[in-house]
Amino acid sequence: MNLRKLLKMIYRVYINFKKGILDPEAEAIKRTIDSMGYKTIKNISKGKFFDIEISSSKNTFGDLEKISSDLLSNPIIENFKIIKK
Amino acid sequence: MPKKVVSIVVFPGSNCDRDLDIAVRKYMNVNTELVWHNETSIKNQEMIFIPGGFSFGDYLRSGALATKSPAMKEVIRLSKKGIPIIGICNGFQILTECKLLDGALIDNYKRLFVCKENFVKIENKNTPFTENISKNVVQFPIAHAQGRFYTSEDNLKRLEDNNQIVFKYSSRDGKINKSQNPNGSMNNIAGIINKEKNILGLMPHPERAVNFSEDNDGISFFRGLQYLL
Repeated sequence: MNLRKLLKMIYRVYINFKKGILDPEAEAIKRTIDSMGYKTIKNISKGKFFDIEISSSKNTFGDLEKISSDLLSNPIIENFKIIKK
Repeated sequence: MPKKVVSIVVFPGSNCDRDLDIAVRKYMNVNTELVWHNETSIKNQEMIFIPGGFSFGDYLRSGALATKSPAMKEVIRLSKKGIPIIGICNGFQILTECKLLDGALIDNYKRLFVCKENFVKIENKNTPFTENISKNVVQFPIAHAQGRFYTSEDNLKRLEDNNQIVFKYSSRDGKINKSQNPNGSMNNIAGIINKEKNILGLMPHPERAVNFSEDNDGISFFRGLQYLL
């Protein structure tokens, strides 16, 4: 494997709505899927993700958590989850 | 005596700043200074307006990126000193994203951009921003895609208990019901105030209700604000 690729540090931050918040876009998508004839789809929730490449492993997780809660998500309406890619 | 000066913070993508500027100068009898978002200080601190529009293209969430502008950092600092601050539409979204006001403004219930005149009941007249408006129900235009006010049930109760809900979408005669709710806001909420009563956010546009006659309700809104200065 390419060493440069191996050393790349990329984290993915997932953002989605908290439970109980109506997402009209996800509802509309669900209704369209229903209209396509699929009978087994119970529920759809929608989210977004950010792939963030970083240059140093120092304090990375703490920084990413702070960025995610301060800017990328709004804690009143959204949850976030960070994973290493 | 020279006229007092109020500040209007302008972001890339703001588009109600000029309308607001005209309404404020004409009906509050003051001068204005437009403050570009990357200014690190706000000279005129009598009152600060955050106008409507699409700051930073509404990227990420409406108002989210604007919260990190140097001028907004200054607004947050000045808010603690009790300076009156009013956010209209995108300005309200920015103030909630800054946590200067409670809650969040999310996609309208039907995902449509709503643009129309709406009646708005003044729920709380015991605020510096509303005490001089004579009517109980005003008519203001609304124009937004993310205006559905949301907060937790606990916070909603706290807002109600503290009388922080200032404006609600209503019928002409002030009835609050679902059919008058244009965007799915909790309890028809159109505008709230902070606990200290110096920060107001509202989705409707009073600055767009000043043009056609002296009866336009935006005029009484801005005239009433003169007494805060």
